[in-house]
Amino acid sequence: MTGEAPAIFVALEQSDLGAAIRQSAWLFPVANVGHILALVMFAGALAVMDIRLLGGLSATSPARVLMRARSIAIAAFVLLAATGFLLFTAEASHLILNPVFQIKLALIGLGLANLAIFEFGVKRAVTDLGPGVAMPASAKTAGLMSLAIWIVVAACGRTIAYF
Amino acid sequence: MLRVMTAASAIVLAAGAAFAHHGWGSYDAAKPVTVAGPIVTSKYENPHATVTVRSEGKVWTVTLAPTSRMSTRGASEKVIAVGKSISAYGYPSTATPDEMRAERITVDGKTFEMR
Repeated sequence: MTGEAPAIFVALEQSDLGAAIRQSAWLFPVANVGHILALVMFAGALAVMDIRLLGGLSATSPARVLMRARSIAIAAFVLLAATGFLLFTAEASHLILNPVFQIKLALIGLGLANLAIFEFGVKRAVTDLGPGVAMPASAKTAGLMSLAIWIVVAACGRTIAYF
Repeated sequence: MLRVMTAASAIVLAAGAAFAHHGWGSYDAAKPVTVAGPIVTSKYENPHATVTVRSEGKVWTVTLAPTSRMSTRGASEKVIAVGKSISAYGYPSTATPDEMRAERITVDGKTFEMR
């Protein structure tokens, strides 16, 4: 299986970093647990944002809710990417060929694209709305897409080891 | 709308938990094999240790447990050193030929559980 992987992923796995992650008694477990803790943080912040976009938590204006949760979501995503990179490096040549991992990567791309559409488009329609005001359909779509995509990303992450 | 989504999330999570049961995936628990012979290569690494074992003219890749669990159970790096004679009972991979996931191994008359 290793032979089929693109050379860059084989090189990454065989790098000093890859060897260090595999051979250290604590590095892999720390990255593993850190990835889950970051996921919990990310999912929490993201759910708050998406629920606000869908019209929940309407006692507070959307801009306030989104701004607060956003910084937590960004910090958590950075932590997810960093710990994910460590976990990936340990077994890069296998993981890159894993179908579930490939689906997960594609969905992360889709999730980020959805976020970009929101940031550069939909956001303008909601930033000036006050508390209790009904959310526009574009915001609801963005929130629903986001929830659906990231839930499947998390499910894929948990499932990689079984394929 | 929110209620529907909560229900949908619960279903996804429940399905995930059900699938995560041991034996699901690419190892055939219905056809256990025992691979016995000398250890050719040995990696005491995360996420799980592996050895290759020469047995009946084939070289098997035997997937073991995470190093923390191995060492807790006394299966240190020395126990699975190259040249040692090992007997591994486990399930063959349905994806990679001559690969198996060990349920337990026996080295020098001592048996170590891997699950």
